[in-house]
Amino acid sequence: MKILSRASLLIACLLAGIIALGPILWAASTSLKPTNRIFAVPPEILPQNPTLEHYAKLLAEGVHWAFLNSSAYAVVAVLVALILGATAGYALMRYPVAGKPAVLLVFMGTMAVPGFAVLLPTQMLATSIGLHDTWSILPILYAGHILPFAVWVSRSHFATVPRELEQAAEMDGYSRAEAVWKIVIPGAKPALLAAATFGFLHCWNDYVTGSTMVDSPELRTLQVALIFFQGFHGRDWGSLMAGVIIATIPPVVVFLLFRKFLIGGFADGSVKG
Amino acid sequence: MHAISLAKPRGLDVVAQRARLTGSSLVAPALLLVIAINILPALYGFYLSLHKVFFFGNEGFVGLGNYVELFRDPFAWQAIGRSLLFTFAALAVAVPLALLAAIGIRRLGRWGSVLLTVLLVPWAMSPIVVALLWKWILVPSPGGLVGAAFNAFGLPPQDLLTDPLLAMPTLIIVAVWRNFAFATIILIGGLGQIPRDLYKAAAVDGLGAWESFSKITLPLLAPSLLIVISMLTISYFNEVQLIIGLTGGGPIRQTNTLAYLLYHTGFVELDQGRGNAIAAVMFLINMGLIAIYIRILGKQSGAAA
Repeated sequence: MKILSRASLLIACLLAGIIALGPILWAASTSLKPTNRIFAVPPEILPQNPTLEHYAKLLAEGVHWAFLNSSAYAVVAVLVALILGATAGYALMRYPVAGKPAVLLVFMGTMAVPGFAVLLPTQMLATSIGLHDTWSILPILYAGHILPFAVWVSRSHFATVPRELEQAAEMDGYSRAEAVWKIVIPGAKPALLAAATFGFLHCWNDYVTGSTMVDSPELRTLQVALIFFQGFHGRDWGSLMAGVIIATIPPVVVFLLFRKFLIGGFADGSVKG
Repeated sequence: MHAISLAKPRGLDVVAQRARLTGSSLVAPALLLVIAINILPALYGFYLSLHKVFFFGNEGFVGLGNYVELFRDPFAWQAIGRSLLFTFAALAVAVPLALLAAIGIRRLGRWGSVLLTVLLVPWAMSPIVVALLWKWILVPSPGGLVGAAFNAFGLPPQDLLTDPLLAMPTLIIVAVWRNFAFATIILIGGLGQIPRDLYKAAAVDGLGAWESFSKITLPLLAPSLLIVISMLTISYFNEVQLIIGLTGGGPIRQTNTLAYLLYHTGFVELDQGRGNAIAAVMFLINMGLIAIYIRILGKQSGAAA
């Protein structure tokens, strides 16, 4: 009985793993097949004559520029959100702040409501102040989206670092800012990394903001470029799956590198605050 | 401001005032950015929803005209129905699946964390990329993955995404595939907080596996379950990228949820007055859902204390 349930548990897990990864591996396999083998019946699970022609085609279409745009937007937004978020989070924990309950409500409320509902007026505001279709609009918007979470995480995790440790550092001759940098930030590092990972995934994985806030091809994110590519080459599944794989590698690598902090933070409820 | 400082002329000493100034100015940049990016557009959107706005041109104040028109439109009501169907059907699939996965992963020990990582890979992907990927999986040809499965059973390949009956269930499956494992993380945390002694005591009392699950696990897991349910509800209710990528609201409006209707009205038809009215309705429904869950959660923790 015990052996049976152990065996069925393992089979269920294997099945779950195949369902989760199977589609992605199938896309990877398709992206490596020559075009005339893609619709082979029965389907070839592994490419018989693997080729990189689809990746070459995407490069010829300039996919690397869109890749760089997406990376730059995400990195800048995460850095801005972390710096502003940690600063505000620290102040909200250690200092008296004018209208503190209202300020906390602003950060909490904006965290709960998804940004999609305000995209339409954002587009009109951005147009009227001349930021629509510029390099700066997406990093600014992304930073604004992920900032409330960064504030919240910083605030709740800075609280776990004892004030005495900071004071000890100040007695040793450090300024308050140095004490925060040397004592408080490292103490909250796991939570800050979790917030950074979460923020990166939000930015990198966005499509609607990117597709509505910039029009120029050279400003497009990777996701928007892929959908445009699909519009022109709708049936070129080999190249489309190459695009899927290229767009999937960065968020999955970031997730795998920082999964410890992400999973740990959510599992003990601490990232939620 | 003046009245306050006059009322307490000597109460606030210089040190406290300086600390307050420092604190406020450290919070200010983040606060201003959040107000500019999240709150200002929301207010402006509400203002626009009271105007006739078409193709970026404001043609004047119409009061609640956009809302009246919206609620007279049977397609808008249909979209609300589709949103609720999508949201709650996806929840009904995702939550039991997440719970099952959480229990299985905890039993597996070390291999459990490997499985959790594997299950989370789709969650790390972009919804629009997931849509592109599943379009290929579902391609109605014997050379496609699902097509080959139909073939193996001697059936002709079906185009699940253009079938009026099957498009919505297909969309729900893809949505759940992408993000149910995120709920698993929180449930694993919740399960870890249930004292093991309770199960031992239950076994001594002769309770079976199902009884100890329904009498111990479920009630003690309720707070985590509610967090999971509320997070997933909001995520499914506002899902738009998967729908843009997979079905475009079709076939014959079967997957035209409120979120997709907002996208289509505002960004494709460029009827921005009406689009903002839809956004306001979505905002109210979001708030309503959050309020309901907070109420239930509050009661739960009140009962536990």
